Amino acid sequence: MKRPAGLLYSAGEALPAGMLSFSALQHMAVMAVTLVFPIIIAREAALTAAQQADVASLSMLAIGVATILICLRSRWIGSGFLCTAGFTGIYLGPSMFALHQGGFGVVLGMTVIAGILQLAIAPLLRRLRPLLPPEIAGLVIAIIGLSLAVLGLRYALGVSNTGRIQPLDCVVAGVALTIMVGLNVWATGFLRVFCVLFGIAAGFATSMALGMFDASPLAARHGIGLVHVPGVEHLSWKFDLASLVPFGVAAVAATLRIMGDVSNAQRLEDADWVRPDFRSLTGAVAANGVGSAFSGLVGSVGVNSYSASIGLATATGITSRSSGYAAGFGFAVLAFIPSVGAGFVAMPGPVIGAVLFFVSAFIFSNGLQMITARMLDARKTTVIGFSFALAMMADIYRDLFSTAPPFLRPIVDNSLVLGTVSAVLLNLIMRIGVRRRVTLLVPAQEVTAELVEKFLIENGARWAARRDVVDRAVFGAVQVLEVIGRPAGEVELEASFDEFNLNVRIRYPGAPLLIPETKPTPREIVASPDGERRLAGYLLRRSADRINAKALGERSEVDLHYDH
Amino acid sequence: MGANAMEISESKAGEVCVLAVAGRIDSSNAEQLGARASKLFAEGERHLVIDLEQVLYLTSAAFRVLLVVTDEADRSACRFALCSVLGQVRELFEMGGLLDVFTIHATRAEALAHGPAR
Repeated sequence: MKRPAGLLYSAGEALPAGMLSFSALQHMAVMAVTLVFPIIIAREAALTAAQQADVASLSMLAIGVATILICLRSRWIGSGFLCTAGFTGIYLGPSMFALHQGGFGVVLGMTVIAGILQLAIAPLLRRLRPLLPPEIAGLVIAIIGLSLAVLGLRYALGVSNTGRIQPLDCVVAGVALTIMVGLNVWATGFLRVFCVLFGIAAGFATSMALGMFDASPLAARHGIGLVHVPGVEHLSWKFDLASLVPFGVAAVAATLRIMGDVSNAQRLEDADWVRPDFRSLTGAVAANGVGSAFSGLVGSVGVNSYSASIGLATATGITSRSSGYAAGFGFAVLAFIPSVGAGFVAMPGPVIGAVLFFVSAFIFSNGLQMITARMLDARKTTVIGFSFALAMMADIYRDLFSTAPPFLRPIVDNSLVLGTVSAVLLNLIMRIGVRRRVTLLVPAQEVTAELVEKFLIENGARWAARRDVVDRAVFGAVQVLEVIGRPAGEVELEASFDEFNLNVRIRYPGAPLLIPETKPTPREIVASPDGERRLAGYLLRRSADRINAKALGERSEVDLHYDH
Repeated sequence: MGANAMEISESKAGEVCVLAVAGRIDSSNAEQLGARASKLFAEGERHLVIDLEQVLYLTSAAFRVLLVVTDEADRSACRFALCSVLGQVRELFEMGGLLDVFTIHATRAEALAHGPAR
């Protein structure tokens, strides 16, 4: 592990109090933008202004707790890195669907279910990798970006309330959007980092100047003290079978996103980073699941990691977990200060529209980058192209799809769900015949390390396998051959590869390999007759991602598996 | 000789003798490295550093030989250290729980500046 040059405070390093406060406030300011998502759902659910303010307060409690959980470094939960939580467009479509199915109670109930689903996915991450490759994650993110743009435009044009374009709404949204884009493109430092907040402030001001500002959410809290426990009278939890599919897809999409974010956070800590630490990813996904379930229980919508926090950490060089803890604690405190929640609820619709439209551009571009970062062969092109087209069709031909059989409605009614389901299924089909395999058969007496190296390195290069993974496989194969010695008979070395796996299988005459779970002591390695063999077996166990040894009659077999 | 066969080059920096090893160290050549170290101790070298910067990987046979050299240095009241243990080689030391067993310096310059500690 090598510390990157620009890193000021790493994940495990404590910050001085002043810097901790400033860093946490910056993260809170960036995270606060995502509160628009639960507020949109609360508005669409036609909750009263006071109830919307309660949802905003409870949402702050939810992202506070989720942030602390995701940053935690423990055996069972948490990534161990600075990665804050935020609300996300991923759950927006499914939540709208749930609203239409049975109201706000279904949204909350299904959010809890989505959290539990994510918790169940967490231990299976490594095995699910081939089913959910990065280009599918990119596709999901790009579709979310487009959906947000459509929704944002509805709010920005004033169509969401009246069904017709409202010129004054366009002016407010235009001012807010111009400020956001202008500061983001041409400003630097503080102004650029907080461009969204400045845009929101400009939108509020324009809305007031045009006499459009609705202060009733603020008035609804008039007379209540500084500190107030958010009301929970609007809370109920309902299960809806039809909503299970969209929320299941959202849980998968949220999993893909947090895996990407935490992998990025890991990379910020280590200049030598080559592959994600799955233990940290598993803890992060589990934390996200618990965070979403908690959010649903306290009356808000699904949470996810917030990619902007990784960008902020990159820009500032501060990746200390303590910033995340402080930001999480800060939001948990703000949840009990009602004027803050009411302030978010008072945000004019066109301003929300401008924010959604602005962030949709970045989400869409991120998705495209994830897709094109991989080499797109005919298989991947088919998966991505067909699924993207289907996702667009769900929006364009909404009326046509509304005549689909009831059991298909949860899938075809939502572009995100249709695109993701299509991509996962097509990816499964396209994996047929993807594995490549080569075999080397030589008399045991003639096997040399040079021969094994040449065989694996040349084929690894032909398959475009990562060199660090091939090097580990070379060590594994040479170490196995060293232990089995040179018995009479033939040794068969088989290597197989697909995008996610490099497997080496060695069959030889003789007894199965000893693969101990405990390492021998230095004294045992030097003095014990089987000390060196035990070290060999132990090194093989540790260096391969999976190892299996078994007898096949007079011969034996060793399987070495390396994640790619 | 294969492309990654072991090569040893010897140099002297003050009181310290450095063996720079390149390539792969496995059962076919590990004893050769051990014999070279023993010969140096027998010839009166008191400070020995083995530089592993150019080593691609080492197997259990190589670890055993390095442990034997450590024992021999202790018995002969000589100082012995390793330096530039990097990349996959370092991972293998970590996996075997052997990082703390040897005196290891980050670079050859550091090894020469501090002198082998053993």
